[in-house]
Amino acid sequence: MNRARFRHLFRLCLELIALLGLYAIGCQLATWLHWPLPGGVVGLGLLLVAFASGWLKPATLQLGAGLLMAEMLLFFIPALMSLLDYGALLRSDGWRILLVIGSSTLLVMLATALTVEAVCRWRARHEP
Amino acid sequence: MNLEPMPLFWLALTLGGYLLSRWLYRRSGRYLLSPLLLVPALLLAVAVPLHTGYAEYASNTHLLMLLLGPATVAFAVPIWQQRGLLARHWPALLLGMLAGSTVAIGSSWWLASALSLDGTVSRSLLPRSITTPFAMPVARDLGGVPELTAVFVMLTGVFGALVGGLLLKWLPLRSSLARGALFGVGAHGAGVARAQEVGGEEGTVAGLVMVLMGLLNLFAAPLLVRVL
Repeated sequence: MNRARFRHLFRLCLELIALLGLYAIGCQLATWLHWPLPGGVVGLGLLLVAFASGWLKPATLQLGAGLLMAEMLLFFIPALMSLLDYGALLRSDGWRILLVIGSSTLLVMLATALTVEAVCRWRARHEP
Repeated sequence: MNLEPMPLFWLALTLGGYLLSRWLYRRSGRYLLSPLLLVPALLLAVAVPLHTGYAEYASNTHLLMLLLGPATVAFAVPIWQQRGLLARHWPALLLGMLAGSTVAIGSSWWLASALSLDGTVSRSLLPRSITTPFAMPVARDLGGVPELTAVFVMLTGVFGALVGGLLLKWLPLRSSLARGALFGVGAHGAGVARAQEVGGEEGTVAGLVMVLMGLLNLFAAPLLVRVL
């Protein structure tokens, strides 16, 4: 393995450890202060504060954060396997569940896009 | 079946399947080969004949799910980088997300009761329009089953990414903001990938809106619990 590649990997590991650390601190804080928030969200808040106060630059964590977000699919695939325990539910209610998901998703997309579009057009008309 | 001699069998299969599927998907670009569809299909095809239960599978792979925590922390980076976009367009984005959340929760609840779905299933359906690391804790708050919600989130993403493209053709949307929000609110992760294909700005907006939708719903969940 060449040197540049090794340094890249080393840096990635450090960034991942930093993000894991922030998550752990977030979990601890939420427990101590009895906040009804997941540790990850408290960690997200801490990181935003660190960016805003200038202690950290987003570029410092770009590699690790990018990897975690890009491979997020892998982290929730295990939860999808809960299907193993819900075979009976899917056979009896599957089509109704799909009907709810399909129609509701269509309505959500319509409502969101039309609202944002309306606000944008309104602002375009009312601003110089 | 007892796989005790190979304690990391499921973890290895999940990781291997993921890497293989990601490689195939990048090479072919076919949606059916996306890890979102192919990996669960592959795992089910192995686990069902072996009569593996979810508990046994999860005892091997909970380590992966733990990484959703630091991935949530990482969302601070896009929020901070896009703060300029947010400062300029927060009224439109906030109103769009409020409309989207209200319609998502209201229509799911109404449709689920109209089709007389079980209470736990209905509650698990409510946080379906937000990205998984947020949807699972919200489902727990609302009295649903987080794992079932993860399945519904996945189905929403797959359906939304497919239908969103068609909607773009029919709706008279002039702003890239509306096109991005449509995907980010309607189809979270899968939608962001689709929005990036539509355009750079659409992708950025979708990614930002996806994270903010998660936060908005998480903070609204305690209020919602009182109403239900």
